[in-house]
Amino acid sequence: MLIGALLSGLVFGLYFTLVGLGLNLVFGVMRIVNLAHGDFLMLGAFAAYWMFALFGLHPLYAALAVLVVFVVLGLPIYYLIVPRLQMARDAEMLSIILFFGLSQMIEAVTSIAFGTTERSIPGRVLGTGPVTILGQRLPSAWVFGAAVSAIAVACVYLYLYRTRLGSLTRAVMVSRDEALATGIDVHRVSALAFGIGIALAGIAGVFAPFMLGSVTPALGPEINVAAFAVIVVGTLGNPLGTVLGGIIYGVGLMLMQTYFSSWANILPNLLLIAVLLFRPEGLLGRATRRA
Amino acid sequence: MHRVFNDLGLAVLVVVAMAVAPSIYSNQLLLFNFVMFLSLAQGLNVIYGFTGYLPFGYVGFFGAGAYGFALAVMHLGFGPPGAMAVGAAAAVVLALILTPLFRLSGAYFAIANLAAAQAVYEVVANPALEDVTKGPYGVSLSGVFAPNASYAAAVAILAFTLLLVVWLRNSQFGLSLRAIKEDPISAAMAGVSVVRGRTIAWLLSALIAGLVGGSFAWEVSVFYPETAFSPQFSIFAVVFALFGGTATLTGPLLGVFILYGVYNWIGISVPQYFQLIYGTLIVALVLFLPNGLVSLLTRRGIRVP
Amino acid sequence: MLRRSVVVIAALASILFVPARVEAQTAPAEIRIGHPYAGSGPYASISMPVYLGLKLWVDRTNEAGGAFVKPFNKKIPLKLIAYDDQSSTATAATLVNQLITQDHVDMLVSDSGSVLTSVAVPIARDHKQLLFNPTGTGAAFFTKDNPYVVLLADPASTVWPKYISELLGNSAKTAGIKRVALLYATNDFTGTQASTIRNYIKAHADTGLELVYDQGVPTATSNYTVLINNVAATNPDAVVALGYVGNDIAFLRNLQDSGQKFPFLFMIYPGVEKEELLKNVGATGMEGVFTYAMSTEIEYKPNFGMTAAEYKKAWHDTYPDGKYEFGFNAIAGYTVGLVLERTLATTESLDQLALRAAVQGLSGKLTTLDGPFEVDAETGAQLGEITPVGQLRAGGKMEAVWPLDLANGKPTFGKK
Repeated sequence: MLIGALLSGLVFGLYFTLVGLGLNLVFGVMRIVNLAHGDFLMLGAFAAYWMFALFGLHPLYAALAVLVVFVVLGLPIYYLIVPRLQMARDAEMLSIILFFGLSQMIEAVTSIAFGTTERSIPGRVLGTGPVTILGQRLPSAWVFGAAVSAIAVACVYLYLYRTRLGSLTRAVMVSRDEALATGIDVHRVSALAFGIGIALAGIAGVFAPFMLGSVTPALGPEINVAAFAVIVVGTLGNPLGTVLGGIIYGVGLMLMQTYFSSWANILPNLLLIAVLLFRPEGLLGRATRRA
Repeated sequence: MHRVFNDLGLAVLVVVAMAVAPSIYSNQLLLFNFVMFLSLAQGLNVIYGFTGYLPFGYVGFFGAGAYGFALAVMHLGFGPPGAMAVGAAAAVVLALILTPLFRLSGAYFAIANLAAAQAVYEVVANPALEDVTKGPYGVSLSGVFAPNASYAAAVAILAFTLLLVVWLRNSQFGLSLRAIKEDPISAAMAGVSVVRGRTIAWLLSALIAGLVGGSFAWEVSVFYPETAFSPQFSIFAVVFALFGGTATLTGPLLGVFILYGVYNWIGISVPQYFQLIYGTLIVALVLFLPNGLVSLLTRRGIRVP
Repeated sequence: MLRRSVVVIAALASILFVPARVEAQTAPAEIRIGHPYAGSGPYASISMPVYLGLKLWVDRTNEAGGAFVKPFNKKIPLKLIAYDDQSSTATAATLVNQLITQDHVDMLVSDSGSVLTSVAVPIARDHKQLLFNPTGTGAAFFTKDNPYVVLLADPASTVWPKYISELLGNSAKTAGIKRVALLYATNDFTGTQASTIRNYIKAHADTGLELVYDQGVPTATSNYTVLINNVAATNPDAVVALGYVGNDIAFLRNLQDSGQKFPFLFMIYPGVEKEELLKNVGATGMEGVFTYAMSTEIEYKPNFGMTAAEYKKAWHDTYPDGKYEFGFNAIAGYTVGLVLERTLATTESLDQLALRAAVQGLSGKLTTLDGPFEVDAETGAQLGEITPVGQLRAGGKMEAVWPLDLANGKPTFGKK
C-alpha cells in the first residue's frame, strides 16, 4: 500500500506540476494572481473534448493546437488587462478581484455554450490497461500526463535559461523596476510569459479529462487551490521548484488518501500555510517574501 | 470635531435606514443580506483599508462565527445572544491562531489566509467530527429561528461596526495604523508599535466577521458547512469594499448598496446571463475605477466621510 | 419565551391577514410557479436538468391551454418565474424570499439537492408557503411540526439504501458475499446513505456480513487509483462506493484503468444518470455494476403524464444539442410538474395548506413515470418512488434484480 501510494503520488504530482507551472510563471513575472488559471485549464479541457468529439483528434495533437491558440490568445488579453491594472495603487491585490471576474465570465460563457453536463474523453485513447511500474499498476493516462508535464517543464526551463527572451524574463522576475531601467521591453516579455502561462494551463487541461475522470465548466476554483499549493511549496519563478511542489503535493495527497482519507483535502491548505510560515521563500528559493 | 459628526451622521443614517427598511420592503432576507454585507465589507475595511493586509479567506471568521453560534445552541443550550458571543469568540480565537500570517506580505498573505479558511472548513465538515459539528450533514437550529430578532441583531452589529470604523478614522490609534500602512519602518522608528497595531485591527476585523456569522446562522438556521464557508462571502466583501474605496466609511457602504443592488437586480431581471454580466462588471470596475468610487471625489480634494 | 412570542405573533398575523387571503371568485390570469435553479457552479449539473424538465412541463401544459385549476373550474396558463442562484446558498435564499414576498408565486419549487434546498426550508416555513421540493433529500428537512415542505421526486436519503442493504444481506446468505468495503463521499446525500448501509451491516452480523473498509473521502475527490488499491488490499467481496456523478465517473474510469475487479460493486450514479455515465465511462466499464434502478430503467405504468420512453423522446426533441443529459434529474423536474398539475386539479383553493392537503390526497393514488407517489402525511417526506437495485449488463442494458417482486433478472457476481 505504501509503495503504491508513493509511486502514484509521484506520477499524479508530476501532472500537478503542469497544473501549477503556468500560474507560477504569470505570478513570478507580473506579480499578479491569476484566479482564472483554473478556468483556462477548463477551457483547454473543453477544447480537447470537442477536438476529439468532432474530429477524433488525439489529445497530443490537441495539446499542440491549444499551445498555439492560447499563446496567441494570451497576448491581446495581456495588453487589454495587465498594463492598465499595473498602474493601480495596489495592483497585486486588485489582480485577485479582476481575475475572479474574468473567471466568472469564462465559466458563464462555457456553461451557456456547452451546458453543465460532465464531459470526458475515453481512456482507451491514451492506451488501454494499466502500466506496471515497480510492480504497481498505474493508469496509462497518468503516465502520459506525467510525461507531457516533464516535457513542458524541460521546455520552460530551456526557455528561461537558454534563450535571450528567457533571460530577460528572469530579469523582470527579479526586479521589474530594474528591468525597466535597463531598457528591457517589459511588456513584450510579460505578454509572452502570460501567453505561455495560460497555454500551459490549457495543455494541463487537455489531460484533465483523463486525470480527473471528467470535467464541467465549474472545474476552475478547485484547480486553483491545488495549483497555488504546488507553486507556493515549490519556488516562484523556478520551474524545477514547481516540480518539487507538484511531487510533494501528489505524494502527500496519496498518503492522506491511504491513511486519513476523509482529511485528504485539508492537505494542500496545510502544506501551503506551513511552507509559507516556515520557509516563505519556498523549498528551493532564496529569502524574498517576508514583509 | 466637524469630521467626526459627518462620519457619525452617515453611520446613524445608514443604521436607521436599514432598521426601518423591513417595514417598507418585504423581502426581509434580501435586506438582511444587505446588512450582512455592509458589516462584512466594513470589517474587511478595518483590516485592509487601515493596514493594507487583504484577507482573501475572510469567510473563515464568518464561518467560525456561524459554527460557534450553532455549537453553543446545540451543545450548550445557549440562547441566541450567548451563542452570538461564543461565535464571536471563536472567530477571535481563530484570528489569534492566524497572527503568524502577518509575517507574509501581499498576495502571500491573501493566499495563505484563503488556505486557512479552507482548512477550517475541512475540519468542520469532516465526518470524524460528526458528534460535535454534525460534519457534512449540516446543522438545524429551528428551535431558535426568529427572523425578526436576527435581523435586529444584524442591524445592531452593523451599528457597532460603523462606530468602530468612525473611531478608527478619527482616533490616534487609526492614525497610527495608517502610518504603519504607508511606511511600517518609519512608523516603528516614530515609536508606533507595528505588531500591536496590526494585531488589534486584525482581531477587530475577525470579531466583526464572527458576529455577522453568528447572526447569519441565527437567520438561516438550517445550513451546511458549504454554506457557512462559501468563498462567495470573502469575495463579495472584498469586491464591495474595493469598489467603493477602502479606508473611508462611505466607500464600502456605497460598494454594497450599488454593487449588491446591481447583483440582485441582474439576478432577477436577466437570470440567464447573471454570472456573465456580473463577471464583466467586476473586470470593468477594476480596470476603470481601480481606487474605488470615492477616489472620484478624493482626487478632486473633496473629503469623503 | 422568545419562541412562544414568535408563535403568538405569527398566529395574530395570520388572523389579521386571513381576509386578504380568501380567494376572490375571479380566476387569476396565470398560475405563478417560482423556482430557483443553479445555472453554474458545482450544483449546475444536477440542477439544470430538473429546471429544464419543469420548464418542459410548463411549456407543454401552456400549449394545451394551461393547467386545470379546480377552485376556478377552468384551465389557467402557467407562468414559470425561474432565477439562477449560481449554486450559492446565500443567493438561493434571497431568491426564494424574492419569489415569496415580491413575485407572490402561487407554488414554490425549491432548487435541487440538499445544500441548495436547505436554506429554502426555514424561509418557506416562516412565510407559510409550501415548498415543493424536487430532490432535497436531507433527513433534517422533514419534521412533524412543519407542514410547509413536501418531497416530490425521490425518497429521503435514509430510504434510498433500503433495497441495496437487503440485497447485501441476501447475497451474504446465498452467495458468500460477506466482506464489505464502504467508500463514500462526505456530503449529506452519500454520507447518510453510507450510515444507513453501515447500520444494516452491523445489525445483520449474524448473516456473516462484516465491514472490512469504511472510509469517507472529500466530495471533491477526482482520483481513485490509490483508494481502489487500498480497498482491494482489504480483500472485499463487495465494494459499495457512494459518490456524486463526478466521483462515480472518476472511480469507474480509474477502476477500469487499474484492471482491478470486484465480485460485487454498488454505485449510485450508473443508474441515476446512466446516459451521462455511459458517455463518460463506456458500457464495458460499467458492466456488472449494481446500482439504483431508477425510473429511467423501470417502466412504471403511469396513471398520469408521459411514460419514461415518451418523455425521453420529448426531452431529446426539446433539448437536442446534448448540453443537458437525460437522466433521473430530468425525470425529477417533469415529475414535479406532474405533481403540481394534479395538485391544481384537486385542490380546494390556492391557499398553501390547501395545496399541501391536495398533495397528500395524491399520495398512494398517483403513479407517474417516476413510480408510485407516496408522501408521509406527518413530515412531507417521500416514501414512494423507491429505489430498487439493478445490475448493468453488456451494452449498458440494465436489469432490476432486487426486490424480487420488481426484478426482471437475477444478480450475478464476479469472480474474486
